[in-house]
Amino acid sequence: MIRTAVDLEVRKTRRMRVWALCLVMVVAVVVLAGMSLGSEATRAGFADPDARPWERLLLNHVMVAAMTSPILVAVLAGRQVDIEHQGQGWTLARTAGMGPGLLCRAKALVLGTALVSTVVAQCALLILAGTVAGIEPTPPLLLWGRYALCLTAVHLALMGLHLWLAARVDNQLVGLGVGLLGAFYAVFSLLMPSWVAYALPWGYYAAISPLRMEGGDRLIESQPDPVLFTLFLGGAAVLFLTACRRLDRAEGGPA
Amino acid sequence: MSHVITTEGLTKAYGSRTVVDSLDLRVPEGRVYGFLGPNGSGKSTTMKMLLSLVRPTRGEIRVLGRPMDRRTRHELTPLIGSLIESPPGYGHLTGRENMAIVRRMLGLSERRVERAVATVRLRDQMDKPVRAYSLGMKQRLGIAMALAREPRLLILDEPTNGLDPAGIEEIRALLVSLAGEGVTVMVSSHLLDEIDRMASVLGILGQGRLIFQGTREELFDRSAPDLIVETPEPERALASGLSAVRVREGLRLAGRDGGSTAALVRHLVHHDVPVHGLRRVERSLEEVFMDLTGREGLS
Repeated sequence: MIRTAVDLEVRKTRRMRVWALCLVMVVAVVVLAGMSLGSEATRAGFADPDARPWERLLLNHVMVAAMTSPILVAVLAGRQVDIEHQGQGWTLARTAGMGPGLLCRAKALVLGTALVSTVVAQCALLILAGTVAGIEPTPPLLLWGRYALCLTAVHLALMGLHLWLAARVDNQLVGLGVGLLGAFYAVFSLLMPSWVAYALPWGYYAAISPLRMEGGDRLIESQPDPVLFTLFLGGAAVLFLTACRRLDRAEGGPA
Repeated sequence: MSHVITTEGLTKAYGSRTVVDSLDLRVPEGRVYGFLGPNGSGKSTTMKMLLSLVRPTRGEIRVLGRPMDRRTRHELTPLIGSLIESPPGYGHLTGRENMAIVRRMLGLSERRVERAVATVRLRDQMDKPVRAYSLGMKQRLGIAMALAREPRLLILDEPTNGLDPAGIEEIRALLVSLAGEGVTVMVSSHLLDEIDRMASVLGILGQGRLIFQGTREELFDRSAPDLIVETPEPERALASGLSAVRVREGLRLAGRDGGSTAALVRHLVHHDVPVHGLRRVERSLEEVFMDLTGREGLS
């Protein structure tokens, strides 16, 4: 059943501009994060491994991703669910034996694929931009790869939350508003003590940062608290699946 | 006569508010069953319960001879086409893409889908996005989605809503022809005129209760039309203790069935009232309906 539902979601994404939206976000992230590559001060450190040019670029990526990702996730989830509200899709699917929860799970899989592609594209293009700009040391692929994995995981956790919210609340401006506030919180968390980042789901965009500044200008490696991060991801998965089950059992549409 | 839908004491309550109360429906096979009632009388909720989209608070439903509930609905829904509330359709996709989704969703053949589209005469509009459709075209697409299953039972909730007279006539003819092919059609409306011209059996709902179920003729029999007593001396009749309204021909009396009409005649003769004629007022189905629903109105 889930295979059919996923296939249907792929068909529904036609003309939804999902990939165009993701592309715009990739370009925005690459341009904003890579903007410093053009500055003289930054270029001066391109040949010096101690200046850690790649790490600085990666930190820019973290900052810009925290700023944009909650909005992208909210927009994608809202649009993909809104078509069900507008087109009586919940009832149509129900009469074919597909509950709203199944539809939400299928949407999570389809949009999750788009988000994974977005993260991969962002990382690859930023590394390409750094190389083309002339950064000489070897890029820290392991560090970047770990960040990409964590970023994908946070994306998926928040995608679940936004899908549920969009299914429950007809007005998609609510989800978008939550995404905007989430973006503020994510950026704010980068500048605050680490416990702030663990207080709300959006803070995890900051908590997964592989680098942090210490003593003004010194970059040190960092990683999210493994217990809290695992609890967050596990909790998000369990909550999403439970919410989907409840949606399937609810009468009529989910809203 | 076998019944495709039967319900026993079907009830739906939300908290202390009962929206459908103890319905005993009998929808005969191969007929158009008109499900009538003013807005808010519980038609849509009843239809949703029949499709197992809403859980009944009490009562039983049998569809196509089998109990309809959450456990059995997966086996029964492929045999039922439905259109509940507004017609489904993804606005950003074309009619053809929407039908392709339905085809994939239900595992139908291309031939079935094409036949359904041809039946509702929407072939020429299939490459337009659904958001560019008129309401009538959306209704027809919704009906095509319901028909694509080649169902034994069609449950349509106000399918003519928003259609122009030509569109209504088209849907009416379609439903009658489907019933002619053996498909049982249950169609709801709050507009009596629409149902009157296509349904052979009527169910009338008022405030969640089934206040009538049967044929059109039985409906007229059930609600006795007013009686006109043609007399040149209505004052004498009124002075004799009759409760009536004066009209041009004489008197008009309500609520008189066969027995009480005979008693009335005896009473008039006994009081020496000259009676030139006695006849029933011709009533439209709408008046009968209004009578039964306690003048709740039709919209």
